[in-house]
Amino acid sequence: MNAASAIPTVDLTRNHANEGGAVRIAVKGLNFYYGSFHGLKNVDINFHDRQVTALIGPSGCGKSTLLRCFNRIYSLYPEQRAEGQILLDGQNVLDPSVDLNDLRARIGMVFQKPTPFPMSIYDNVAFGLRLYEKLPKSELDGRVEQALRKSALWDEVKDKLRQAGTGLSGGQQQRLCIARTVAQSPEVILFDEPTSALDPISTGRIEELIEQLRDEFTIVIVTHNMQQAARISQFTAFMYLGELIEFGPTNRMFMNPVEQRTQDYITGRFG
Amino acid sequence: MDASNPMTISDAAPRRSGRVRQSRRVADRVLRTACLIATVVGAVVLGSILLMLIVQGVRGFTPAMFMHPTPGPGSEGGGIANAILGSLVLTGIGITIATPIGVMAGTYLAEYGRFSKIAGLIRFLNDILLSAPSILIGLFVYTLMVRPMGTYSGWAGGVALAIIAVPVIVRTTEDMMRLVPGTLREAGAALGAPPSTVIISVTWRAASAGIVTGIILALARIAGETAPLLFTALNNNSWFSPDLMGGVANLPVMIYQFALSPYPNWQSLAWAGALLITATILVLSIIARLVIKPQMSR
Amino acid sequence: MPALTETIALARPRAAAARKGPSRSLDTLFRVCSYGAALFVLIVLAGILGSILYGGWPAFREFGFAFLTSSAWNVGTEQYGALVAVIGTVASATLALLIGVPVSLGIAVYLTQLCPGWARKPVAMTIELLAAVPSIIYGMWGLFVFAPLFARFIQIPVSNLVEGMPVVGTLFYARVPSGVGVFTAGIILAIMIVPFIASIARDMLDQIPTVLRESAYGIGCTTWEVVRHVLVPQASVSIIGAIMLGLGRALGETMAVTFVIGNANRLSASIFDPSSTIASRIANEFNEADGLQLNALMALGCILFVITFVVLIIARLLTRRVKAA
Repeated sequence: MNAASAIPTVDLTRNHANEGGAVRIAVKGLNFYYGSFHGLKNVDINFHDRQVTALIGPSGCGKSTLLRCFNRIYSLYPEQRAEGQILLDGQNVLDPSVDLNDLRARIGMVFQKPTPFPMSIYDNVAFGLRLYEKLPKSELDGRVEQALRKSALWDEVKDKLRQAGTGLSGGQQQRLCIARTVAQSPEVILFDEPTSALDPISTGRIEELIEQLRDEFTIVIVTHNMQQAARISQFTAFMYLGELIEFGPTNRMFMNPVEQRTQDYITGRFG
Repeated sequence: MDASNPMTISDAAPRRSGRVRQSRRVADRVLRTACLIATVVGAVVLGSILLMLIVQGVRGFTPAMFMHPTPGPGSEGGGIANAILGSLVLTGIGITIATPIGVMAGTYLAEYGRFSKIAGLIRFLNDILLSAPSILIGLFVYTLMVRPMGTYSGWAGGVALAIIAVPVIVRTTEDMMRLVPGTLREAGAALGAPPSTVIISVTWRAASAGIVTGIILALARIAGETAPLLFTALNNNSWFSPDLMGGVANLPVMIYQFALSPYPNWQSLAWAGALLITATILVLSIIARLVIKPQMSR
Repeated sequence: MPALTETIALARPRAAAARKGPSRSLDTLFRVCSYGAALFVLIVLAGILGSILYGGWPAFREFGFAFLTSSAWNVGTEQYGALVAVIGTVASATLALLIGVPVSLGIAVYLTQLCPGWARKPVAMTIELLAAVPSIIYGMWGLFVFAPLFARFIQIPVSNLVEGMPVVGTLFYARVPSGVGVFTAGIILAIMIVPFIASIARDMLDQIPTVLRESAYGIGCTTWEVVRHVLVPQASVSIIGAIMLGLGRALGETMAVTFVIGNANRLSASIFDPSSTIASRIANEFNEADGLQLNALMALGCILFVITFVVLIIARLLTRRVKAA
């Protein structure tokens, strides 16, 4: 079953690789372990430059795990490890010699629940900037404003930049976290179910925002909401029990899935 | 709150069904009464202690007590100004040494050592040190500092108090840092911040109220400690020297010596000191609880 | 908007080049410092044991095993034994548990099951404040408030009552009804450990799932039956741990006991008679002690270390296991 499903997947990837620009991230033979639990099984997948790729699948299928491999955030927990290759512009990010902090500055991440730091709105956005660049105050101000504008938050917070980030509403907090990530000018942004803790209106705004960010960033988003995947992504990958079942352009995945399991999941027969 | 609902059921049940035997009802009554009595006893004891301190302490509680040093045996009047200042100095030294050590050690346990065996051992031993007899800490510091230096000193007293304060700070720092959600750390790391930056500017900030509470609790704990000071700072019936060598007057040991003395003015000063120190400690404890409340409920 | 995109596109390579990253060595220094601070706990504990072993060694060498079994404590003849102090320590701590445990559990049950909602916080706070009162204040309260009352209303009547009776006539007879002695020390210690045991027991009872309690009430149990058959068995291991923790405190408590135990070195079968504990004897004699007496006091410290640490280790193991489960 493992081998049978892997073959068409790889073929599909090749077929559609050219549709969305160059390959930015290439995952090859990725395996992931939580202690002795085999969380990802031999995953091969490509992510295209300045496209939104959605990872879908039932809970526990490994979609978040895959996302957490790109910036190696899993390495905060000693019992978790990844094997295989994840090539970011040809460089294997799983290589032990890779500077983790540098990697994470290049690959931003936005989490399920908003994670504003316990500091002012301004300091939240400037946090990442201050880590890597010594900027004069005026330029820092400019970069913060730029990031907040891109995150469609500027008009709401421009008069209260010194207030605590934790005082914003849930949707605003999430956009603040996006601003914080965008401010670092990363190459890739990972979204881990960014709207699952938000109301429908805030969700709509975040989706619009992701749509805009696609102009500049390669985006990978984990979502359990299939409508969301259909709305905002150009590519969709369906995962199940730690395996990549099917990958392709979102339209085709939803209109005409090849795999029975993909069809079953999309039509709501399980999950 | 959730207790009120089942309780009405248990009260109502006997009346309706009549299947509750008399003995069961009696046992229930006895338990409720006994528990109430136990709680009342606790409250009465606290009230009685406070009453005793106020009744006895107010008499000696005069402005003079803040202006004069402790009187010699058989001499009239006097105050406890030297003991008050000495206690401030000793607890100041203690908390100044203990805070960085305690916060850093708590940080290690909560952040770096979360998965290591040695951290588990340290956490366990810290919990033991937390309840270790303070008199043994006095013996340790006596051997470590008083014997080699050949004299009692305020430094030895401060170190002894620091050793008592450290486990309190370690414990609360670790507990409070663990309350900080892991996603916040991940978010910091995901921005490329090294662990120390994440700890200092994210985790510490998020846990700051709790950490401050731990320090206040430690302060309350060491402010009234007597036993470890007996062999380290001892006491002194006059002003201590600025280099803190020799005996340094302090409230707890002063209270101990004066309360058991035959001189009425000494006893009255002991009561005044006892009132002062207890009031200070209770206020500190209440402050600590008020600080921790918003942190916990969040 | 296109203008912004352009700046970012330009900024990106420069940012990547400027990303030297925060200093590695500072990060390492921070980590090493925190590790060192954590090791401090180990060093202190080792230092405590090492210093009293070092100080007590001459006494152990001089008296050997007899140090534990001898009741002598004579500065003139330089004969020292730990028996009276050890018995006093164990007896006062045992009495403290006998009195303190039921009261603590009563308070914990009252606070979690019976207390009306509005009173929970102030009552809990009152009990917790008892833990903050310095031990020397308990000593003064015990000596100046409690002991006179205790002598007048309990010691004297009870002594008169039991005089001449077998067993109780010895156990509860006060030769000098001054109010101080082992029993008074036990009561004061009980008051001091109640807030500790009660607050841990309360936390444990609070942690028991409400469903369990409600289902017991649902089949018609009275409060007593719910407490006796559902709550106490559920929380028993950690409550025993809390009791051991209280015992550890009682064994090592110094100042309060020094005030009220009478500080006599006499082996007596009556719990109304004055005696000594290890801690009270060290506190009383250490500053004037010299030579072998100092060593003997340090040796007493070793015994106290062993007793309290065994008790505390058991206590922590019991309370920890529940947390893990």
